[in-house]
Parts: sequence; structure tokens; C-alpha cells
Amino acid sequence: MIRFEALQKVWPDGTCAISDVSLEIPQGQFCVILGPSGAGKSTLLRAVNGLMRPSAGRVLIDDVELNIATQRQLRQRVAMIHQHFNLTNRMSVASNVLSGLLPTVSTVRALSGWFRPEHRQKACHLLDRVGLSPEHLKRRAGDLSGGQQQRVGIARAFMLDPEVVLADEPVASLDPKISRDILTLIRDAARERNATVLCSLHQIDLAREFGDRIVGMRDGRVVFDGSPADFTDDRVQALYEGARWEDPPAADDAGTQPLPALAAS
Amino acid sequence: MMNTRPIPVPAQGSALHWQLSAPYTYKHILLLIVVATVLIVTGHRTEMDRMAAMTVQALGYTVGLVDDSQVVRGLSRVGQSMWPPAVAESEEIGRLQDFDRDRLPPFSRIEMQERVEQKMNLETLQLEATSETVEVLVQPFGYVWTVFVKMIETLEIALWGTILSVLLSVPLAYFAASNYSPNRFTYTVARGGISLLRSAPELIVALFLVLAYGFGPIAGVLALGLHAAGFLGKFYAEDIENADKKPQEALEAIGAGKLKTLWYAVLPQVLPQYIAYTAYILDRNLRMATVIGLVGAGGIGQELKGRFDMFQYGHVMTILIAIFVFVFVLDQLQARIRARLI
Repeated sequence: MIRFEALQKVWPDGTCAISDVSLEIPQGQFCVILGPSGAGKSTLLRAVNGLMRPSAGRVLIDDVELNIATQRQLRQRVAMIHQHFNLTNRMSVASNVLSGLLPTVSTVRALSGWFRPEHRQKACHLLDRVGLSPEHLKRRAGDLSGGQQQRVGIARAFMLDPEVVLADEPVASLDPKISRDILTLIRDAARERNATVLCSLHQIDLAREFGDRIVGMRDGRVVFDGSPADFTDDRVQALYEGARWEDPPAADDAGTQPLPALAAS
Repeated sequence: MMNTRPIPVPAQGSALHWQLSAPYTYKHILLLIVVATVLIVTGHRTEMDRMAAMTVQALGYTVGLVDDSQVVRGLSRVGQSMWPPAVAESEEIGRLQDFDRDRLPPFSRIEMQERVEQKMNLETLQLEATSETVEVLVQPFGYVWTVFVKMIETLEIALWGTILSVLLSVPLAYFAASNYSPNRFTYTVARGGISLLRSAPELIVALFLVLAYGFGPIAGVLALGLHAAGFLGKFYAEDIENADKKPQEALEAIGAGKLKTLWYAVLPQVLPQYIAYTAYILDRNLRMATVIGLVGAGGIGQELKGRFDMFQYGHVMTILIAIFVFVFVLDQLQARIRARLI
């Protein structure tokens, strides 16, 4: 279970990324975070593994507060899947997946690359699970397609059997078909381990399809929190409207047409 | 769809608050004048004008337009005394230790030679030329062999200088990379050390190391290694700092620790650059190793300096040819290796 308590983040330049967010996400839930760019979705996710240090409030994972002292232990239980996959491009797929184990292996093993046979086996199992095959093992991660790279990213994330999976726009740079496959993989792999998923997305249809719960954020605040069924088209419009386009100058803008209603999916 | 609204286009002729300024301003002209002045003043102080005049004169002399050229005279005088290059080596048998008449070195022969020596006649206090006949061991390619052995020693100095510099610079780079150095103090010390190593030229470092370690290759290896360690440390560290942050963030997010993150998320990225730098250092050290002996730090340079000081310009010529062949062969090798690797 993840609990955000009155979380707040103010950047050094004074902009407020998150203001007063309190949420409780029960174990095993697939929670989608929606909202326009700059709403604070990534910042919220990064608070869970301490990549972002909040200005006020706190984050608890299973009632353990995340701080400098507990961070090293907690981080091993929190996996992260990134928008840009964040693989080491010039390293093999196998090494990239095994690097997911790094916090738990000895320095000698890590530096020599001599991982235990059961760990190597686990890497193969996970790669098989995400739909890659043995010939991918020795390929450079950077040579794979985007979808395949994200599969490697998922395999890496699950190497430590995490209790929490943070997915920061995991499908933002992938096509709709592959996006659905990737999200299915994340959801199913998480379910098998009863892991909580916090997933930020930009696609409303995917959010409705995969989320057990949808949290809508705007300007650093939670403006919607409910089930996908409650997330109606009106809510969608309220969440996004005017966020990306400034209001048009009223008088001399002849080309402006009335804003079309958001297509429901 | 949401974003079908066209981007508004302003009406024709409307006044804008901003503009695209001209590419050059008076500042550029001022800068141009300053640069020209600096070039003229420094050029005159370094006698660039005289250099041009003398070179033109030399060129004119070679095509027969000018009667005399100081440059050509100087060069031809040196050239005459350097030709032919020394190939053979002859030593007086009387001065050789462990000489065995029955087991001569290969290709060598014994010759009788007359030596003319200037000796002081103690009665007349005059220098008199006295000649004596001595037995001499002549090795027809003896000096070429000596130079070859010295060349190998030069190669070894360069190789070990490079190995030493890599060994020193890897930990140095870790502490000198601002994003991995444990704290401000280690960073400052490492950066300071790198600057110090880089600021000391090999020849001057070698000069002092010869005093410390004596004549020979130790001083050469240390001098090359220390200077190159500064160079490599700086570039290794900057590559670590500039490496793509995304994979590092991924490993930081699971708490992998600095050393493992460096190994898995940085090293694979920077490795090609590191190899390129190290190859450059090896190349540089090979050329520097031929010079470093001038101050007594071993290798072919030491031989060159010795022969030069004894006015044996024929031997100097042999050495210069050897250095040229050596560098040429290395360039060819390097080109081949590079073509195969890339």
C-alpha cells in the first residue's frame, strides 16, 4: 500500500509541481494517473522511490516512511518503467535485464558480470514472459525497436519481484497496438505478484481499459479520483480543457472555430 | 479531436513588437580590429615577417633566382655532415670485455686499422700525431642493430607509459567526475591533480625524474605516464559527466549504488570514447618516447643525444631514419587496425 500524505513539491524557481496531494493506493491496484503535460504526474511517481524529494508531506510504503534512511531498502521494492525505456543502449539485452538485480548482488559479482545461474535463468524467464526470444539475449539494447526496448525495461523492472511498479508514461512513444500489449504485460505481471501499479498515461481510452482506478491531476492537484466508469467524457473535458492551448484572443481571430467536443472512445 | 484549431495568422501590415536584427553589428567590426591588431603585433614579435622573407629567399635560391640563401646554406652544411648514415659499428678489440676470437658475433670480422692519436710530447710540449695499428671488430650492420634494440626499448617505454596512465587515470576520473565524486573535497583534489599533471610537460618532468630515478627507462615511463594520466583523467571524467542520464536514473531508482551504476549505465556508453582516447595517448606516447631520451630518460632519444654531442652526425642520421620508419610503420598499422575495428 502506498500512502501520500499532504505531499507538496515546490521547485527552486518557485513553481509548484504538486500541492497538497493525499492519496491511498491499496496493494495490487492498477492506478492510472491522467492529466495534461506539466500536471505533476511524473513528479508524483518519482516521489515514491525518492528520485524527487518532496518539499512537504510524506510518502509511506506499507506504513514505512520514505526518507534518506529507509530509501535504500524501499527502493529495492519499487520498480520503475520509463517513458524512454532508459536502457543502456550499448549493453546487451541480457546485461540490461540483469542490471535490475544490482542492489542485491555483491560488488564483485556485479563488476565481473558473473551472476548466479538462478539469476541468469530468471532473466531468461522474464524475457520469455515479455515476449522476447533467445536470439535477443546478446543483441545490443539500442538496436531493438521501441516496443522491444520497453519489453526489456519491463523484464528489468520485475527482476527483483517488486511490490510497487511505477510506470512513467510507459507507452508515450509507442503505437496504439504495441501500447496495448505493453500495458497488458505490465498489468498481468503485476497481478501475478499482487504488485501495486502507479501508471501515468496520456491515452484516455487505455486509462479506462487498464485502470482499476483513475486519478486525474491538473496543476499539481488531484481533480478526479474514481473508477473508470465514473470518468465520463465531461470529466475528461474538464481535466484537459484549455490546458494545452491558451484561450484565443476573442475579437480579431477570425479563423477560430468553436472547440470541438472531445471524441469519446 | 481536440487540436484542430488552426494557428492564428496575424493580419498583413500589422505592427510587430519584435524583429530579426541584422547579423553583424559594430561590435563585430570592433572585434575584427582587435584580432587584426593582436595578430600584427604578435606576428612581428615572433619574427614571422623575417621568416617569410627568408623562406621566399630560400625558394628563390633553389630555382636560381637569388644568389645566396642563409637557410639553404645552413641546411646543406648539416646535410653534408650527416651523409652517409652510419651502418657499421667498429670497436677496438682491446677494449672489449669477454672477447672470444673463436666465437665472433654473426656477420662480423676482424680488421686491422690505423688510429691516429694526438699525444703531448713531454719534452717539446708539442702535440704530435702518432699512429698505431689496432685490431678492430667490425660488425657491418652493428649500428643498425643497436638502433633497432633502442627502438624496441622506446616502444616498451611508450607501452608502459600508456598502461601506467590508464591505471592512474581511471580512479582519478571517478573522483574528478562531479556527479560521482564522493564529496566536494575529493572532487577539488582530483581536478587539481589533473591540472597539475597536465600542466607539466613530459620533457621537464623527465628532467626531474632522471635526477630521482637515474638515467634509463624508469624516468621515461613515469614522465609519459604521469602527463598522459592528467590528459586521460580529464577526458574520462568529462565523458562520465556528459553520459546519457536516463540509464543512470533507471539504476538509481532501484538503489543500485554509485559504483554499480557507473559500471552498468555509464561505462558501456563511454567505452568507445575511452578506447579512442587511449589509442591517441598510445600514439602520442610513441612519438614522445623518441624525444624523451634527450634528457636521459631512455630509449632512442638518449642514443640520439649522445651521438649528437659527440658530433657523430652519420649516426644521428641513422637514428632519424629509424624514427621516421618507426612512426610511418605505426601509422600504417594504426590505420589498418582502425579500419578493422570500425
